[in-house]
Amino acid sequence: MLKPRRPAGLFHLPASFLFRYNTRPMTQYIIRRFLGLFPTLFVIITISFFVIRVAPGGPFDREKALPPQVLENIEAKYNMDKPLVVQYGMYMWDVIRGDLGPSYRYLDRDVNYYIFNSLPVSMFLGVVSLTIAIVLGVGSGIISAVRQNRLADYLSMSFAVVGISVPLFVIGPVLMYFLALQWQLLPTSGWVGGRYGWLPLIMPAVTLAFPYFAYIARLTRASVIEVLRSDYIRTARAKGLKESVIIFKHVLKGAMLPVVSYLGPAFAGIVTGSVVVEQIFRVPGLGRFFVKSAFNRDYTLIMGTVIVFSVILVVMNFIVDIVYALLDPRISYK
Amino acid sequence: MSNPQPVIPEVVNEFDQPVEGVSLTKDAWRRLKKNRMAMVGMVIIIVYALLALTAPILPIHSFRTQVSEHRDLPPSFTKTAGDLWCQRVENRLYALAAKDGRTQLNEKDLAELETIRQRVATETAVVNGKEIMIHQRRYIAGTDHLGRDLLSRIIYGGQISIAIGLIGTITSVLIGIAVGAIAGYVGGKTDYLIMRFVDVMYGMPYMLLVIIMMAIFGRNIFNLFLALALVSWLVVARVVRGQIISLKNSEFVEAARSMGASQGRIIFRHLVPNTAGIIIVFATLRIPAFIMQESFLAFLGLGVSAPFASWGSLVSDAVERMSTTPWQLFLPALTMTVFLFAMNFLGDGLRDAFDPHSKNQL
Repeated sequence: MLKPRRPAGLFHLPASFLFRYNTRPMTQYIIRRFLGLFPTLFVIITISFFVIRVAPGGPFDREKALPPQVLENIEAKYNMDKPLVVQYGMYMWDVIRGDLGPSYRYLDRDVNYYIFNSLPVSMFLGVVSLTIAIVLGVGSGIISAVRQNRLADYLSMSFAVVGISVPLFVIGPVLMYFLALQWQLLPTSGWVGGRYGWLPLIMPAVTLAFPYFAYIARLTRASVIEVLRSDYIRTARAKGLKESVIIFKHVLKGAMLPVVSYLGPAFAGIVTGSVVVEQIFRVPGLGRFFVKSAFNRDYTLIMGTVIVFSVILVVMNFIVDIVYALLDPRISYK
Repeated sequence: MSNPQPVIPEVVNEFDQPVEGVSLTKDAWRRLKKNRMAMVGMVIIIVYALLALTAPILPIHSFRTQVSEHRDLPPSFTKTAGDLWCQRVENRLYALAAKDGRTQLNEKDLAELETIRQRVATETAVVNGKEIMIHQRRYIAGTDHLGRDLLSRIIYGGQISIAIGLIGTITSVLIGIAVGAIAGYVGGKTDYLIMRFVDVMYGMPYMLLVIIMMAIFGRNIFNLFLALALVSWLVVARVVRGQIISLKNSEFVEAARSMGASQGRIIFRHLVPNTAGIIIVFATLRIPAFIMQESFLAFLGLGVSAPFASWGSLVSDAVERMSTTPWQLFLPALTMTVFLFAMNFLGDGLRDAFDPHSKNQL
């Protein structure tokens, strides 16, 4: 029997990846890694819950102490009069059902409200930054590797060293000083959709992307250089393939593995970095709640931000691992 | 009773010249010396370290004395603080006069200016038990918003930033070596448990946890060290474990074991020293990372607290006012950046020196 021919097309790329190798261990690997997400999240949530509650101070501390009766009533309303373990159980049950509880400081709003309003902003900023970092980083890494020890290499690598050595809270203000205050090219703060259109996105995204651009560029350069020396590239050259075909079809696939495995840490860095960048450029994202709520002891809002950030990070790491396993047939699914 | 000294025959080559053994570190040092950028980095680091160490005896002003008249003075090599202050008052008076539609200063303004000139010429203040002509000071790096000398704040801030980098690195390396060595050498269930724990910790968004811990348990230096060190030993543990597993069945360990060396002795006298190269490289690259993390926290208002400063807190204090007093932002930022550059160059150089055909040379 002849197998029906698969139509070749963009949509079949993932499937062909899956079918090329033995499918079953891969599926098992994905399921196992997926199940592994939950213990990690559970540990993070538990640790932060108890660390936050054990700390001195509470959400209802004010300059002027509340009358004991009032405090008691408030604490009863938020179940804070119950033993800590009971509170923990109740909170976990709420979290599983997707309810992150009311904010203890901003009494009229739920934590979910804040997250739904500000998470898209942070996500957008993060995704744009990561895209900039990957596209520019991989691009300049390849150029450096192909033109090794020439002008283009030196230029892009010195640029990358700057990116690695200069912290983003220095890059951000310096950009702001020159681009916004001195030359008045860009607005100092605000966000997409205001009166400046897309302009307010530029500085935060560039600032956030810069360190990761730098790292990805150096990583790409090193691994492209290594792959260029390998036997299968010599074979490709011997076949008389065009240099562009060699680079884009043969080198790049092998050279991308270290970059893919760096994406997990890069994303984690972008999430934490966004806390600072959102503060510098007054971006209305989730990051700005993070520090403020910890200072305020707004228990549910801290927990909410921690949970959202951790879910994003853990899921990103999961995706990166899967992509890595798909790209690298040598990996053992353990 | 003394053991007779064993006679070590001199090693010679085919020309009867004595041959010196080349140790790993000697070899690495030879390669490092050839790397110009790394050597420049090392010199810069030594200069920084000397400045930070000798800060108390350097001829700089106190980092905590606030002179309210000297607020926000720009850097100047030639003009004294008094001159700058007079000039500023004069400019302000002219601006006020222009607002009233006058081109000249009136009697009252001139009198005010004269008083200030008098004070500049005569006024003294007691700093650190010594009476000095306070307005004759020169601030070559300007002053901050409370009238403190920025240069000495940067130097003392460097003391704190570098100390945090060093202590944090040492702590994390020590924890990492101990855990990694035990996991790698003992193996079996212990290894499995330790490494699973490391894996779980590794997947944590730890910078977020550090931010929470600092915000909640208060911002003192001890908490800062603890928070940063506790989360950064994981990489060392992994690397050391890997090295030890690859070495523990080698002949020299077998020899030590057959001579009756204890487990602890084998681990810490024979195995750990063999991981020194990797650890040195890791540590040099870790120090700038620590300094960056501390500054990151300082930027969020979670670093060391006043009157102390770190580079990060200096930058953070200056961001709000950078349109009027840009030097307060640029000078600490530049100082810090140069140091981080130097550390990174030295770290890269060390990595290439210890591992010349390193696969992940960046």
